[in-house]
Parts: sequence; structure tokens; C-alpha cells
Amino acid sequence: MSDLQHEIKNLIIDALGLEDLTAEDIAADLSLFGEGLGLDSVDALELGLALQKRFGIKIDAEAKDTRTHFANVASLAAFVSAHKAA
Amino acid sequence: MSWIGLDRLLLAPDASRRVTPDLDHAELCRRALCLAGQWRAQRLRCVALHLEDAGDLAIALLAAWRAGASVLLPADAQPQTRQRLAPRVDLWLDALAGADDAEPLDAAVLDLDQCRLTLCTSGSSGAAKLIDKSLRQLANEVAALEQLWGGILGGATLVGSVATQHIYGLLFRVLWPLCAGRPFLRRAQPFPEDLQRASLEKPAFAWVASPALLKRMGDNLDWSALRAVRRVFSSGGALPAEAAQWLHERLGQWPTEIYGSSETGGIAWRQGVEPWTAFPGVELGQDEEGALNLSSPYLPAGHVEQTADAVEIAADGRFLLRGRLDRIVKLEEKRIALPMLEQALGEHAWVAEARLGVIQQGRAFLGALLALTPAGVHALRNQGRRSVTETLRRHLAGHCEAIALPRRWRLLRQLPWSPQGKLAQSTVETLLKAPRPTLVESLSAVEQDGEWQLELEVPLDLAHFSGHFPQTPVLPGVVQLDWAQQLARQLIAELPPRFAGMEVLKFQQLVRPGDRLQLSLRFDAARGKLYFAYRNDAAACSSGRILLGAAQ
Repeated sequence: MSDLQHEIKNLIIDALGLEDLTAEDIAADLSLFGEGLGLDSVDALELGLALQKRFGIKIDAEAKDTRTHFANVASLAAFVSAHKAA
Repeated sequence: MSWIGLDRLLLAPDASRRVTPDLDHAELCRRALCLAGQWRAQRLRCVALHLEDAGDLAIALLAAWRAGASVLLPADAQPQTRQRLAPRVDLWLDALAGADDAEPLDAAVLDLDQCRLTLCTSGSSGAAKLIDKSLRQLANEVAALEQLWGGILGGATLVGSVATQHIYGLLFRVLWPLCAGRPFLRRAQPFPEDLQRASLEKPAFAWVASPALLKRMGDNLDWSALRAVRRVFSSGGALPAEAAQWLHERLGQWPTEIYGSSETGGIAWRQGVEPWTAFPGVELGQDEEGALNLSSPYLPAGHVEQTADAVEIAADGRFLLRGRLDRIVKLEEKRIALPMLEQALGEHAWVAEARLGVIQQGRAFLGALLALTPAGVHALRNQGRRSVTETLRRHLAGHCEAIALPRRWRLLRQLPWSPQGKLAQSTVETLLKAPRPTLVESLSAVEQDGEWQLELEVPLDLAHFSGHFPQTPVLPGVVQLDWAQQLARQLIAELPPRFAGMEVLKFQQLVRPGDRLQLSLRFDAARGKLYFAYRNDAAACSSGRILLGAAQ
């Protein structure tokens, strides 16, 4: 597991108050919404804000595919590293 | 742009009048009358509509009313909901198919009193509640909205973040623009970036939003372009003052908050920190507890609706809201009846009693305080805490929306009822906010010949159990040592302060959640040794000596 994935898992747990979970419980390919971790659209909003704050990235309001990056931890990590490098 | 009354929408097909960006009024009328023909032929009496597409919803509403069918808008499309409503409805639609082969009905005026709409919400008893409205009530309300804000909106496109299954989205995103001839978007835009994109494509726009969205609008948006928004409506729950202020700084206008409910329709509105102003024709009163009641043109004639909202009415008729007086809470604009969820939890074999409360930590979510049955304690001891809470979450998932599923659990032997049989909501919420326990309190402590005998109960929910071990929680040895020292310091005066080591430690039997233990403590002052032994009735659990020394 990459450090960034681990950091994102902990960010999800902290930002959303999921006290019964640890980073080890969230597989990188576990679906975050619906079946899987069971997050909802409000969690998506909270998570978006937390990512922007923690990593200093701007989520491009013009990009149409932003939400697909929120599928799982692996896709989020790829999204964050791409934006940090940009 | 000209106003058409809600009852006369089918009379004047006009291809130059926009309904949605890709649907004009003539096409709307044509499709509605075809569908009405089909439904009339099928003799439908009640149609349940769960349509995400607001344009399709407009067509289906007009079709049903023209066909003489009533409309039910279910709050969700879960299997239990469908099953519960099945006896009432002849047809449930999740998507609208064309009905072009049906013989259309003639255009006609809709009867304001015969055309009916039923909304679903959770009532104060906790059970789902159906609210019946006539077209007249809806027509009165959209006319009032136009009177208040029609001039400001002009030809703006309505862009909404909220669903049209509830009164606010239905009126503001569909029925009002439909009558006014203002275009509206078919789909809800629940995310800020989508809302922005959809808005900036239009020459003029206004928002039908909710606090869930408005309090999470980030700085990544193009605020200078968004300042063109004609009006920002917010309803469904209270908009935090900071969020209103934040939007005011960026947009140069206060969001317009709408206060109302499924039962009452709109009651009042305000911008910023001003008191609430009642909608035209709404008459306000209070019951003896200070809760607001009202009659209004959006309620059945002569009906006085009692709310559970405490209010303070000023001399000029405007008012301040002072909070709810019952146990319905709102999470992100979703009404959640705590009694219903508590009852559902109590039906599980592991739960003796449940009380729920709201925890505000980032977002607001529910926490559950549970008294476990012996079967529940057994499950906790043998499967671990996560397995218990996950099982209960899944049990509840069949009874409510995901947003109402508790995210925090506190497991107890019994709920902390007062001797008068009361358990205040504030007590529940304090217990839910507190971290899980790490210490134990003695139930009794007796001294004989310098040796203390303590009776202990290991808390079910001890924080140490999660890591040690998730599936088979046991009390760690180091915690047993720590407890022995802590409890000894409460009972035995002048215990040396410094931990200096341990001797002859023995761990013979595992200690598990809920175990009743006897702890004996004796301090040998001459040698500086604290003797401890834990027993579970006849079985020795652990024993040893803790060496204590003077401060260095």
C-alpha cells in the first residue's frame, strides 16, 4: 500500500467520523459509495473539501469526470498525485 | 413570458415557451395528453411517480390529473416502501416511457379540487405519513411565489440541487417555473461543480438548493461568474448562519431561506439574520407551549396545522424560530424520526433498548446508545464489536435511508434511566459524544485486615477491546495492571507514586466484555509492593505484585 493511499484512508476515517474502522479495513479497490463502504453524497462533499484542504489541490470545477475519481481509494490516490504534480 | 395558472397548463400549447432546455410547452402538452389517454383507458386511479427527470415529472403529473388519477410521490423507492404503498397505487413509475400510440385526451382545464397529490414524509409518531393536497393548494402557493420573486427571477433558468419528490423541490423546481414559463433543468445537480457548470451555460439562472449543498460550496468555484445568480433559495432545514454569511460575501446577496414542511407548504421566508416573514395569506398562531400553528391558502380551507416548532412572534408579525419540541431530527434536510429507528433496533434479538442522538462532528450523524440483551453480550464476546455493530447496521438498513444509519455505537448493560424513569436527550447525546471508556469503576469495595475486596464489571464497550482482538475481545494484561494501580490509589492513602516494576505476574484466564470480577488489593508498605489478584468467581484470572517507589 502506498503512503498516499494510507494517508487518504485515514483522511476518510477522520473526515467522516468512522470510528469503528481502521485504514487496514479499507481495501484500495473497495467501492466508497453504495455497496462497499456505504458513503453517501454528503460524504462525497465532505471528502472533496477535506482532500482540497489536506493536499492543497483545487478540484477543477470544469472537469466533468471528477466524481469518477471518487470511486475508491486507489483512484483517489491517482487523482491526488496527478493534481499535486500538475 | 406569461403566467399560466396550474389548472390551465394544458390549454395553450406554445412551441416558443420553454419548459426545460430541450422541451417546449407544446410538446409537454402533446405528451401529457397522450399519456392521459393511455391512463384513462387503463382506468388508473392512483399513480406513484418516482421520476428523477423533472421534465418527465411535469408531463406525468399533468397526464395523471387530466386522466382523473391522483398522484403519489414516494419519498424513496426502497422495496419496503413499494410494498407498503402497493395497496394504494395502480401503477408505480420509475421512468417515463412514451405513449405515442395512445389516443390523446382533449385539452381541458384541470379541476382544482378534484386533482389530488399525496406526499410522503415521516410524521411525529415516527411512522411514515401521507399528506394529501389538492391542486388548489399547490396553485395558491406557486402564485404566491411568483408574486414575491417573479420580478427578480425574470427569465432565469431554475437550477436545483434537491429532489422533486418533496414539496420544496416539486414547487420550486417544477410547478412554479412551469406556470411562469421559466425553463428548469431536468436533473438535480447535487454537487457544487455540476451546479456551476449547469448554471454558467445559461444566460440567467437561479438556484433551488439546500443547506447540505450551500454549506459545502468550496473556493474552487468561479464566484465572480456565479454572482450573476438571480436568487439562491434554500430549504429543507436550517441554513447555518456562517454558511449564509459566507455566501453573502461571495455572491453579494443573502440566500433566501424558505421555512415550511410537507404538511404546511411554505410558511415564511427570510434573508440573512432577519426574522421570518410569513408568506402572503398565512395566519400565524401559537399553542400553549409556544409551538407555531397556522392556517394558510396552501392548507385545506379552515384547517389549522399545528407544528412542533417553538416560535417568538414579534409585534410586526415577523417571527424567530426557537427549535423543535419533539424528537424528529433533520440530517442534511432529511427528516429522521428517532422513535421509529429505536423501535426497529429494539426488535433485534441482541438489543434490549435503544436510544439515538445526533452527533455534530464535521457533518451531523446519528449515534446509538444500546442496552444489550444476554444474547447481544454473547455475540459481543464471541464475535467482537465490529461484527455486532455491522449486523445491527444491516438490520436497520431495511428500515431507513442510509443517512440515518448510526455511525457511532455505545454498548451498555442498561440505559441510564433516572429513578423517575426519564432519560433526557441531552444525557444520551453526552454519552454518545464521550470517548469509549478506558477505566472501570468499582461496584463495591470492602476492607478487612488491610486487604481490599472490590467488585468490578468490565465495561462492554471498553476502548481497549477494539485492538485486542477485533473478533475476540479480551481485557489486555497491561490494562489489568493499570486498573489495579488506579483503584488502589483511590482506596489506599500514601501509596508511593512511582511504578518500579512487577513480580510473579500470572495470567490464567481471559477476561472478556461484561465479566463480573473480584479484585483483591493489599499493600505491603515495608516492601513497597502492591499485591493484586483478579478472580471471576472461582476461577483465578490474574495475579502479581506491583513494585512502587518514592518519587525520584
